[in-house]
Amino acid sequence: MNSNFSSKTAIVGIGATEFSKDSGRTPMELAVEACEAALVDAGVDASDVNGIVTFSSEQNFEIEVARNLRIPALSHFSMIPHGGGAACGTIGQAASAIFSGSADYVLCYRAFNERSWHRFGSGVQDRHGGAEAFDVTFGWTSPFGLLTPASWVAMFATRYMHLSGATSEDFGRVAVTDRKFAATNPAAFFYERPITLEDHQESRWIVEPLHLLDCCQESDGGQAILVTSLERARDLRNPPAVISSAAQGSTDDQQAMRSYYRDDITRIPEMKFCADQLWKNTGLGPSDIQVANIYDHFTPLFLPQLEEFGFCEKGEAKEFLRDGNIEMGGSLPTNTNGGQLGEAYIHGMNGIAEAVRQIRGTSVNQIENVENALVTAGTSVPTSALILSQDH
Amino acid sequence: MNQDLSKTDETVSEQDDFLNLLTSQVGSAGKIEVARDNVSEPVIRSWCDAMSESNPLYTNPDIANNSKHNGIIAPPAMLQVWTMSGLHLGSQFQRNTEDSPSAGVYELLDEAGFTGVVATNATYRYDETIKPGDLISGSQKLLDVSEQKATAIGVGHFVTTETIYSDASGKQVGSMEFRVLKFQPGTGKENQQPPKKPPRPKPASNSSTDWFWDACNNKELRIQSCDDCASLQHPPAVRCLSCGSISLNTVIATGKGTLHSWAIAHYPQAPAFDYPLIVGLVELEEGVRLVSNITDIEPEDLKIGMPLEVDWLDVDNEFTLHQFKPIQSVKQKSKSESDGEGENNSQISDLDQNDSDTQITKKQDPKLDLKNVQIGDELPISLVPITTLLIVSTALATRDYQDVHHDPKAAQSKGMPDIFMNILTSAGIVSRWINDWAGPEIDWNSIDLRLGAPNHPGDTMTLSGSVTEKNHSGNQVSLNIAFVGKNSRGMHVSGTAEILLPEISEED
Repeated sequence: MNSNFSSKTAIVGIGATEFSKDSGRTPMELAVEACEAALVDAGVDASDVNGIVTFSSEQNFEIEVARNLRIPALSHFSMIPHGGGAACGTIGQAASAIFSGSADYVLCYRAFNERSWHRFGSGVQDRHGGAEAFDVTFGWTSPFGLLTPASWVAMFATRYMHLSGATSEDFGRVAVTDRKFAATNPAAFFYERPITLEDHQESRWIVEPLHLLDCCQESDGGQAILVTSLERARDLRNPPAVISSAAQGSTDDQQAMRSYYRDDITRIPEMKFCADQLWKNTGLGPSDIQVANIYDHFTPLFLPQLEEFGFCEKGEAKEFLRDGNIEMGGSLPTNTNGGQLGEAYIHGMNGIAEAVRQIRGTSVNQIENVENALVTAGTSVPTSALILSQDH
Repeated sequence: MNQDLSKTDETVSEQDDFLNLLTSQVGSAGKIEVARDNVSEPVIRSWCDAMSESNPLYTNPDIANNSKHNGIIAPPAMLQVWTMSGLHLGSQFQRNTEDSPSAGVYELLDEAGFTGVVATNATYRYDETIKPGDLISGSQKLLDVSEQKATAIGVGHFVTTETIYSDASGKQVGSMEFRVLKFQPGTGKENQQPPKKPPRPKPASNSSTDWFWDACNNKELRIQSCDDCASLQHPPAVRCLSCGSISLNTVIATGKGTLHSWAIAHYPQAPAFDYPLIVGLVELEEGVRLVSNITDIEPEDLKIGMPLEVDWLDVDNEFTLHQFKPIQSVKQKSKSESDGEGENNSQISDLDQNDSDTQITKKQDPKLDLKNVQIGDELPISLVPITTLLIVSTALATRDYQDVHHDPKAAQSKGMPDIFMNILTSAGIVSRWINDWAGPEIDWNSIDLRLGAPNHPGDTMTLSGSVTEKNHSGNQVSLNIAFVGKNSRGMHVSGTAEILLPEISEED
């Protein structure tokens, strides 16, 4: 996002289904329900919506969602690639469409049954052959049994531990904090079910060095977010969550989940690129952020994100965690909804909704005096990030 | 899978009725079966040829005439052969069920769907030496029919018979207790288990990357290189990532590198792999990285930076994958050779040495001193390549025309994956192997076999055994030899043979 359209748009509606391990409904029902809830939240009629942005991995296409919502026409529709890396990108492209005038109200959503239908975490073991370039990338890893998202992330984690001195317990602190916030969030799957660091350490291996409790839960559910211009937002019922900036990033020798060939695989250069854009576009810095939703599909990649945004020095995220900074009362409370480990894994979209609640002052784990909230999207893929702010 | 197994009261009672019918003949004996032909040298010779039996007492008159037998003798392991029904004008002979209680039971079982048949146990006792010219007859008694059992190859009933063999004068020359399993094809545990482990996923590739995997098939690790700026890159691309050149080539890597990072997969488990599975990110000494498996190492010994070298994994003869293993210090190497892996390798090298030799490989120890054989002495390991020729020729040489021993389709229709060796041959090959070790001077008392995993074509059976008992009775010394024959599916045969050593002179 160019700085000249920073703070010109806002999130005005959020809506979600319940988060579960078996929704009992089709993903399309979940998508439509979530979108309806976002429209109700915003007080906007579906007939005013003329833009939809979702993930390229979304299976509930915009045309069928629009048909069910009785959206008469769409002048902007696009899809963002690379799984959870798309989350904040949907908001960024919605804002861009609104700023450019190609749409007025844009719905962004993600909905699926990734637990009760095909289990997302089972990976690509059934994906064989194929000659297209993306198929061929799996040829470098699948024959060796590196088949799941957890296994792809584990390769980064081992190297990160080796260079930074971070331990499995440091990863565990992320999970424990997430679950602590989830325990007080009635919408969270793990509501009233906190864990201890011992629970984390005793949980079984998924892919060493990742324990079960380092991995987010496959979930059923849907989350929708409505974006419009700040000008229109000010006439709606909720305080606008101003989109100060949103950025996408893909950097040198980028691979999907397996960027193993760069000089330093303990860094996340595409996230650093997003951070640089956000700070440049907004004039803000790490000390201006009061609350964050840091993407936590797997705990190990939470740590280098803190480093890339400058909340701590490279290799020092472990101390940042040990000092309690990400907890309630810390310098940067994160994932106050419980994160994807505690609330649900809706590919980052539920983290954006939580940032909206923190700006509105309606979170169940509300942080005081939130001016700016940071949200990051899926790591180890081309990614995105955004800052939401109070309207002044 | 098998509807008949549902345990309703009704089916249990039906099963009881059926079992009562099956067991009604237990204890009764059939008509005495007289061999169609006298014992003859040509039949003995064909049997010896098929079994690779070289004991001269069975085939060489010059030597046999000077032995204590004063002539050719029949191999004791042929006891059962003489009264086998054989072919009658081109069709397999069917025994009259009224004359044979076991034939009646087989017929009942066939009708009830238990059409598969495998022999599971045989105990042969050899009372008298059989010679050419003898006319052997057999009298069979039904000893037992078991209740329905679930076995690895299928649900069925064990049928046990005893046959007493006599010569023309009525003198008992030997006996056989024989047990077969009549089973319902397709009801075995093997059928109910998930299919055999599938091969690893083949690397997805196209004409831009085929060269890499083709090189792996030739056990060469290749890296993409730029003709213009000499940069190396992996994974391959369609342009040089350094200078943009389209002139790309490949170089052969040394295969040496270091461990840059690793992951040990536990869950979820894909059926093609063994877990925990070590996957490493290897930095080659040429400077590029690639993902591979790290082998020959325990997870706790993984260390970032450790030196590695390439190794190769042939996946089902379909394709070859690179793997990496630690570059071992001398000390580590000697350790690994002293554990189980080393033994395995020595067996493989035995196979290599003997493979081109004869159809059945054998090891003879010409210096064996029978007088000094002790309990615990091991017989030389023998590798028996199981070929279609061996299975079919030995089936014919034992006058066994059961279709499962020569017709693959018939074997499959009876629940087996392919034709398989008959029990008379398993007995014959074990006897041959013990004769090879002990020499022609011994006499046979008995052999007791228990059959397990069938010998199918393409497999190799490894025979091993040792002396478990040495008994003295007057001048007679007998040895008990416990043996096993293993194939790739498990234990094909196990059992005990009892042989008599040549009489020992007083001075010993």
